[in-house]
Amino acid sequence: MVAGESTQPPQLSARRRRAGRRSAVRSWRLRDQVVWLLAWLAGTMLCLVAGSIVVFLAIKGIAYLRPSLLVRSPSPSANQSGSGGFLDPLIGTLTMAAIGTVVATPLAVATALWIVEYGRPRRLAGLVETAVEIVAATPDIVLAIFGLALFQFGIFAPLSFRASSGGVYGRSFLAAGLMMSLIALPLTYAATRNALRAAPSQLREASYALGKTRVATIRRVLLPKVRSDIATGATLGLGRIIGSTAIVVLLLGASLQNSPQGGVPLLGFLRGTGSTLTSYIFENSPSGEGNAPQKAYAAAFVLILIVLILNAAVARIARVGSGAAATAGRLSL
Amino acid sequence: MRSRRSDDRAERLLGTVACLTFVGIVLMVVFVTQRAAPTFSHEGLSWLGAGGDVDAQIGAMANGAASIHVRVWPLIYGSLLTSGLAVLLALAISLLTAIFIVDLAPRRLRGLMLPVIRLLASVPSVIYGLIGILVLVPFVGNDLITAGQKESVINVIQLTGAGLLVSVAILTVMVTPIITALTIEALAAVPRSWHEGAVALGLNPVRATIAVSLRAIRPAIVAATALAAARALGEAIAVDMVSGGKAFSPNLADGVIFVYEPLRTMASTIIDQGENLSVPAVRSTVYALALLLMFSGLVLSVASRLIRRSLRKYELSS
Amino acid sequence: MRRRRHLTAATLAVIAALAAVPAAYAASTISMSGATASFPLLELLAGRYSSLRHGSVHFKISQGGASVGIADAAAGRVSIGNSSRAPQTGDPSGLYFYPIAKYFVCIVTNSSNKLANLTGAQAQQIFTGKIRNWSQVPGATATGPIDVYSRTSVAGVLTTFQNTLLASGKVGSFATQEASEGLMQNAVKKDASGIGFLSDYFALAKGVNAVGYAGTACDVANVVSGAYPGVSDFYEVTKGPASGQNQAFIHWIQSSAAARKIIQSNWIPLGKIQPVVKSA
Repeated sequence: MVAGESTQPPQLSARRRRAGRRSAVRSWRLRDQVVWLLAWLAGTMLCLVAGSIVVFLAIKGIAYLRPSLLVRSPSPSANQSGSGGFLDPLIGTLTMAAIGTVVATPLAVATALWIVEYGRPRRLAGLVETAVEIVAATPDIVLAIFGLALFQFGIFAPLSFRASSGGVYGRSFLAAGLMMSLIALPLTYAATRNALRAAPSQLREASYALGKTRVATIRRVLLPKVRSDIATGATLGLGRIIGSTAIVVLLLGASLQNSPQGGVPLLGFLRGTGSTLTSYIFENSPSGEGNAPQKAYAAAFVLILIVLILNAAVARIARVGSGAAATAGRLSL
Repeated sequence: MRSRRSDDRAERLLGTVACLTFVGIVLMVVFVTQRAAPTFSHEGLSWLGAGGDVDAQIGAMANGAASIHVRVWPLIYGSLLTSGLAVLLALAISLLTAIFIVDLAPRRLRGLMLPVIRLLASVPSVIYGLIGILVLVPFVGNDLITAGQKESVINVIQLTGAGLLVSVAILTVMVTPIITALTIEALAAVPRSWHEGAVALGLNPVRATIAVSLRAIRPAIVAATALAAARALGEAIAVDMVSGGKAFSPNLADGVIFVYEPLRTMASTIIDQGENLSVPAVRSTVYALALLLMFSGLVLSVASRLIRRSLRKYELSS
Repeated sequence: MRRRRHLTAATLAVIAALAAVPAAYAASTISMSGATASFPLLELLAGRYSSLRHGSVHFKISQGGASVGIADAAAGRVSIGNSSRAPQTGDPSGLYFYPIAKYFVCIVTNSSNKLANLTGAQAQQIFTGKIRNWSQVPGATATGPIDVYSRTSVAGVLTTFQNTLLASGKVGSFATQEASEGLMQNAVKKDASGIGFLSDYFALAKGVNAVGYAGTACDVANVVSGAYPGVSDFYEVTKGPASGQNQAFIHWIQSSAAARKIIQSNWIPLGKIQPVVKSA
């Protein structure tokens, strides 16, 4: 054997390879041939289903989406088939995304930092990890109900409004936004935690060797390193927030137009009720009273576009960062 | 490294924030249990049983009937039926898709599959419900169900197309990406040499994958199935739109018509009763259902952990 | 260190200011819940009233059904309950029902089913399940089994329908129950063999066919003349006599010309201010 010579078997031409594989299938046992066929069917069916969903939504969306829909508020009556667009739901979706991400990201990063860098007492760290796992596994509807129970408690009246005879309404942008942050939390947390764990210990040791405190190490060394993973996690959480309907239906008060509570400009808006694209679609489908399937299709098209853009963003950011966040992303489907 | 005061302060601050999640969850569970307590204390566990029309019972409570009387078995049955069938179908499709991606797909198609799976996983559930109710339900109602079939059950239930078939179809599509993605990820961790060794011994690639790789990742498949089952049980919006809106227990004895019969699940009941939650009797029942759902999610998670432990000798990585 | 303390103090001051400001801006809010049949009317009335009061009164209207509104009003969860039925035994006591408008209930079928009239007996037989096929209904152009739609038991319109058009019979449990007027309208619109019942605002819309009862067409003229039986009132329900903002709003509905004009657009104004009905 001459030095440097490859020990690989001789490369067959591509055509020869393909021919070999095909004839191989014909020689398999019947059982395996059936599996071969079913596997091909399953794979292509999945592609077809995904493709047809996107194509169908695109066709219906382009047919019914007009730019005026994006800038006009919904008509105030329950019947939506007349004029009016979905500006308010669009604003609602963006607000939800903002509140949810702004609250969830610092919370998730702080939790991940504490678990990975400190993590004492051990029991407490285990409890916190379990708590986040439970939140990750809980369905949206259960979280929505839990949130309702929480925010109808007297203390939280400033977050929504109190009826003249004492009952706390419990539904508002703030209430729904806080619950949204809860569903985004596990995704950002997992991404950050995996990235922190994947950071080589030499990084920390070098920093300590230079005399830096742990706090300074976190701030100046670790956080910049895992920045893109945090971004990946936050974007994944964003995707889940934008797609969530159950929390909106139960915790946002289901008023078609965003109706602020009280006169203060921003705070009144946040304490008020409203809708998002998801609840707008729900209301305009035959399951709701909006009676306007065309508008539902248009809103669905806008929603799926937002989701596709977010997906592409995740792929882009994950490629820039380490692979740890991408792993967390796949795991937390 | 000596710890400075700033480190202690940071540790305390971060620790407090980290525990906020834990405290929040405990608070929520406490509140919900308190609100759900009337149903449990009133009926003990018999409220989980069968007996009478659940819709009528909830309606009577919403109407101001003072006492709590409900038998939610049809709802539990509906949840179990749709989720069970969906998970079984999804498991089969996912394993076949995994085999397809790993062994059979041409290279270009293989690169397409992962974005496809991610796309299916990130479509919001309300869009699945919309397509279901605007496309699938009329198709089933007008083209698949014959007038003769409608007549044969007309004394018991009305068939409108929304029911078991469409619910299971939608849930399967929603849940398949979860199992598929986790299976492929676990397959990537199996040493390639195992598969090559099996092929060298004369197995064809597909059989090698099934007999060696899939068998090796059984714990991961169990975990993925548990996750998928929890997702299916908790899906409220999409199921609410296509399940038919009647708390009926589909009857296997009806033959083919069984798949056309309407039903209602626990999760969709919570959404349906959203407006009635101000009535105490309805509220405690709905919160009790939510507790049930959370409890079943925990049970699934514990069960999957136990099964994985018993399969530990095949586990490749923790 | 000092800078951090100043920063914290400044943040706390801002938060305290933000919390105090809402108190200064207090606009009053009237919250309502209840009947889905009167929801369109109340929305119009609330909008008009709010603009007449230059935004000093806000409204929060949710639905749920007449019984839910009554229960909410009784428990103090809302300021005013909307009801589409009179008080009945089983309602909480101490409630005041203020009538504000008349409405009527029509039997409806899909617009492709040109059924013009049903007798009282036929209506009873269809909705209780004794007649199950359109072939047994003379005048119907639909074929096949009848899909019966009804309302959930919290609906006031259901009570009105059963009392006036079904001779106090009950709709059979086989019927699909819809949770609101809008959902019922949807259901009948997309089901060619469907039949149901709707309040006038929803029944006289496009896509559904309003069926006559016992030879009388279901329209406003017949209701005003007294020929059509399926009539009831919308009520505003308060716990105890209405007071403050609630009383001002209800009084405005019952007496102002602007409110009367709104009511006349799709419903029937009361002849004069009717006396309040009290629950037992």
